[in-house]
Amino acid sequence: MTLSIATLKAMIHEYHGFILSDEELERIRPELESYLAEAERLRELDLANVMSARLLHVDEGGQS
Amino acid sequence: MSAIELLKLSISELSVQIKARKVSPVELTEAALTQADRLQPTLCSFITILHDQAMRQAKEQEAALARGEYRGPLQGIPIGIKDNLATAGIRTTVGSKVLADYIPAEDAHVVRLCQAAGAIMLGKENLEEFAAGATSNNPHYGAVHNPWALEHIPGGSSGGGGANVAACLTFASLGTDLGGSVRLPGTFCGVVGLKQTFGRVSQRGLLVTSFNGDHIGPMTRSVRDSALMLQVIAGYDALDPSTVPVPVPDYTAALGHEVRGLRMGIPTNYYFDLLDPEVDAAVRRAIEDLEALGVSTKAISLPSMRYVGALRIASLADSVVTHEPYLATHRQDYGPDVLYRTLAGQFVLGRDYSKALKVQRLIKEEHARVLQEVDFLVTPTAPIAAPRIDTPTFRLGETEYRVRGPGSGVVSRYTSPSNATGLPAITIPCGFTRAGLPIGIQFIGRPFDEARLLQVADAYESVSPSRGRRPALVDAG
Repeated sequence: MTLSIATLKAMIHEYHGFILSDEELERIRPELESYLAEAERLRELDLANVMSARLLHVDEGGQS
Repeated sequence: MSAIELLKLSISELSVQIKARKVSPVELTEAALTQADRLQPTLCSFITILHDQAMRQAKEQEAALARGEYRGPLQGIPIGIKDNLATAGIRTTVGSKVLADYIPAEDAHVVRLCQAAGAIMLGKENLEEFAAGATSNNPHYGAVHNPWALEHIPGGSSGGGGANVAACLTFASLGTDLGGSVRLPGTFCGVVGLKQTFGRVSQRGLLVTSFNGDHIGPMTRSVRDSALMLQVIAGYDALDPSTVPVPVPDYTAALGHEVRGLRMGIPTNYYFDLLDPEVDAAVRRAIEDLEALGVSTKAISLPSMRYVGALRIASLADSVVTHEPYLATHRQDYGPDVLYRTLAGQFVLGRDYSKALKVQRLIKEEHARVLQEVDFLVTPTAPIAAPRIDTPTFRLGETEYRVRGPGSGVVSRYTSPSNATGLPAITIPCGFTRAGLPIGIQFIGRPFDEARLLQVADAYESVSPSRGRRPALVDAG
């Protein structure tokens, strides 16, 4: 999966993003392609019932 | 004892002599400043050296000791502070041109704790621009050089701290670790780097950071010194809601205790999938050394790591939000590596960001599950030893990978998962490549179980082939 320069420019315009020239868009392309590849891989997963949590607690297995 | 011999001691060795008033904080700080002035042109490891302030603090600590006021093992010890940690009245650049003249009004919480413990702040240390990368090749303040091989990177983003500790300019450094930024300089510079559990140490005063997974942690030349540093900076901070109000144990209590009977988990997927052969061999030898110490081995599987790349989606989006106000007004002041890596984040969809956070949860649960079966995990710290400063890529097998800028991230593939899980992780030197570059092994532990990690790391340190080794430039000149 890839995104064309025209699409990226349209996204920037529509979402009031940071303006990038064609050359600059080429420079961020490796990062974007990596993102899109990972996003594609995530389609395999059913994430509907995954809860979110950040903090860790000692009763998760640690000792203090 | 000569000045260089003093500088090569550990904090635990020196603190006994300082307490007994056999070594003077003033003498020690003068020696450290001399070493810093000698090696700064070579290493570029500081952004600001605090000559006057350090000497003033050293005299204060010496006077306190003379009055019988002993403040603990850090008293009179020169340390470095990464230049993204706020220091009151001292410019704090975050390695950027954007904040080149920024002078905070207050110290970061950890800086205050170290100063209260009597530590001497030798200087503010060089880093990757905005701490956003693994090279410490800073476009505004110069590239930090690795003391073991000057043409190589020290790792990043806390590269100045790693170089300073390895080259005996400082006895410890406070770094920050969002994806491995303490542990990568640890492995590349051959020192101990600790990222404790998320919530164990206050992040208050850590500037321009992501809200999701940053940590402040110590770099030291020994595991015992790492324990001493953590002892000072750990604890609940009512003004930082990310800290957790759990008791702080005595981190040195278990050091020296045998590790026979502990169980280590060796991942069968992901963590050993992409490795330089010399790194692989050194880590496998270290595992054998741990087995010889009586630690049993269990193969463990982490299938969710197939999706670990999703974590980068979240960090991309977080990064552009963090930088938005600066990009709006100072875009021209950014170096290209950080600028273009950050700007890619504006294209991340909310759907994908939400998925990334859910994957983070899956990975965290999976690590928690396997850490019920074993006491700690063993992995390489990095897939390679330190690459050269002048190369933008490195090769593993048939594939070329970027070291910095957009599309990089392979260097931190074994460290960044612990930022997402929040689990404590420590890197210990475990040998050298044929070219003389340090290699590190990483131990990952249970939440808030840093004491166990330190015990294991201390036991391994006693048999590591790296023990006692210092870069040649420490003594030169």
